Amino acid sequence: MKKKVLTVLLTGAMVASMAAGATVVSAEESDNTLTVWAWDQNFNIKSMQIAADQYAADHEGFSVDIIETSSDDCQTKLTTAANAGDYSTLPDIVLMQDNSYQKFLKAYPDAFTDLKDMDINWDDFGALKQSYSMVDDTHYGVPFDNGAVIACYRTDILEEAGYTLDDLTDITWSRFEEIGKDVHEKTGKYLLTSEATGGDTLMMMIQSCGANFVNEDGEAYIVGNETAEKCIDLYTELVQNDVVKLVNNWDEYISTITSGEAAGIVNGNWITATLMSTEDQKGLWGITTMPKVDGVDTATNYANNGGSSWYITSNCKNVELAEDFLASTFGSSTDFYDAILPETGAISCYLPAGESDVYNEPNEFFGGQSIFSTIVEYSSHIPEFTKTPYHYEARECVNTAVVNIVNGTSKEDALQEAQDTLAFKMTE
Amino acid sequence: MNSKKKGMTLATKQKAAGWIFLAPASIMIAIMSFYPMIRAFIISLQTGAGANMRFADPIFSNYKRILADKVFQQSIANTFLYLIIQVPIMLVLAILLAQLLNNKDLKFKGFFRTCVFLPCATSLVSYSLIFRSMFATDGLVNSVLMKLGILSTGYNFLGNATSAKIVIIIALIWRWTGYNMVFYLAGLQNIEYSVYEAAKIDGANGWKTFWKITVPLLKPTIIMTFIMSINGTLQLFDESMNLTKGGPANSTITMSHYVYNTCFVNVPNFGYAAAMSFIIFIMVAILAFINLKVGDTRD
Repeated sequence: MKKKVLTVLLTGAMVASMAAGATVVSAEESDNTLTVWAWDQNFNIKSMQIAADQYAADHEGFSVDIIETSSDDCQTKLTTAANAGDYSTLPDIVLMQDNSYQKFLKAYPDAFTDLKDMDINWDDFGALKQSYSMVDDTHYGVPFDNGAVIACYRTDILEEAGYTLDDLTDITWSRFEEIGKDVHEKTGKYLLTSEATGGDTLMMMIQSCGANFVNEDGEAYIVGNETAEKCIDLYTELVQNDVVKLVNNWDEYISTITSGEAAGIVNGNWITATLMSTEDQKGLWGITTMPKVDGVDTATNYANNGGSSWYITSNCKNVELAEDFLASTFGSSTDFYDAILPETGAISCYLPAGESDVYNEPNEFFGGQSIFSTIVEYSSHIPEFTKTPYHYEARECVNTAVVNIVNGTSKEDALQEAQDTLAFKMTE
Repeated sequence: MNSKKKGMTLATKQKAAGWIFLAPASIMIAIMSFYPMIRAFIISLQTGAGANMRFADPIFSNYKRILADKVFQQSIANTFLYLIIQVPIMLVLAILLAQLLNNKDLKFKGFFRTCVFLPCATSLVSYSLIFRSMFATDGLVNSVLMKLGILSTGYNFLGNATSAKIVIIIALIWRWTGYNMVFYLAGLQNIEYSVYEAAKIDGANGWKTFWKITVPLLKPTIIMTFIMSINGTLQLFDESMNLTKGGPANSTITMSHYVYNTCFVNVPNFGYAAAMSFIIFIMVAILAFINLKVGDTRD
């Protein structure tokens, strides 16, 4: 008898949980709610929530249902759903890394809604930022956060070695190497930290020259690409001369900073959020431009890394609402950008927002520098470059080449291998 | 006569009952395992990025592609290196531990067994992450070595191809030895104590008893653990993904990790990924088959 009761209970529980699953699905159908996938509670998700609150003020009943999904999970879930040809599990709006979008558009052109009819002045965003989410002059994404590259240095360590922030402003990588060697000799610290396998430093270097590891036809272009070789040369030298500390993963990357082992970091400006979490280093940091590649005509001190944009999926039932929502918040509202900056530190790509007073406030952590307006200014100088769906493949190949060269492979062999591997990955 | 009226003999009735009992599990296995396998094979004949899949021309071009793929070949080499070094060490350790813990006079047996088995209760991802932080340049291992005066500066274990492979092997041994030990313990408990007593009376020492009694009687268990370990190692993923990210320079990447990258990190190429998965499947099948044949002593 006891067993029977248990069986009935368990069966009942199973049926109930199935029913619960079913009701969750049907609840999403509501007309005025948009589901969103985004990551980072304090940054993207908070910004989205503020946008929704502002929009709901004049649109009664509007709400967003934000499902926290890490950046990697967003990609994996999208790939799985799209490859199965079943878009019904996708949200209405998805946040995506700028570097990965070209890949998705190549692989799953039907998964996204184009924004041809969207009421938005695209020129209010920088040309480079737009180009990440564009294919053949058609827009697919609404640009969100700014990925302008900054160099952050520990001014106290620089001082110990006899340098100031000005000595590192608008310099070349060779000069950076000289200073770096000196700093390492005098203080034992590295002037820069960089990830070995998944690192972006080389990508930033080449993109700051307006170039890439692919040519205009989208083919692998490493061997014979003077800019590429120059970047790889410089970077390998930095590693070999103890200027760059090569680490294995993101945890170590962050810990070289928190432990004070590295005196500098070059990355997209979103890195400031991470730096600012090390409270005991308050006031010790300063930001400036990244070094530029020597001996290349098109070289600049500016690049872009990271940043993301909002995309409307083809599963969105109410495209008009989604477009209007994005256009009237992320696409045109300086009030909105003023509101998110102090709360999240999310710096906009919406150029008119940069003129606002909020952007000129000094930042205590960075010794009183008004970093926000500085970053907005940097982002206007970033050169455009050829995009490729094979961004991650290219990154992997060149990073592998650098590790191999450092470990003793000849440069020719390592580059040839990188070229071959990348070309191989581009074929089907 | 009576049974003919009903249309079924007792035997057919029993047969029917047997089929009915078999049906649910068989249907589930067919739907959940065999159907996906067939689909995967069909996909492995297709090519194209993401959703734009079409049948490859020539039809086996994905399999041919494997021959030209240096990274995949490197991942095969890495995986087999793990297999050849880690599996024997682990199984020998497991059998020794089982032998120790099977001692009748040992106190706190339950406690020791739990201790050895405990690593298996940790999730693959979390233990990989813990090993990663332990072997970091400023991690626990380096700190201890530096405090002891063996090293003067932190050694970059995960940044060096050889040491990164060793760290993965150590991690695997830590995680899986206890798991295999449990099988051996179960096997040892099936061996009558009187057999050992008889051996003792005949004057066999510990070493001899181990080789002449324990190992032959444990043979089925040893073969099973071998097959499971080979299977598990060839499908190794979590450690490569979380401990080293396959680096430095692809020197620790495993086959499954590369398959994953092909689908979810790089421009998705599911056809090629499916082809590689099939190759892994065939490797596992061949190795398991050899193992069974070698271990089979029946005439």
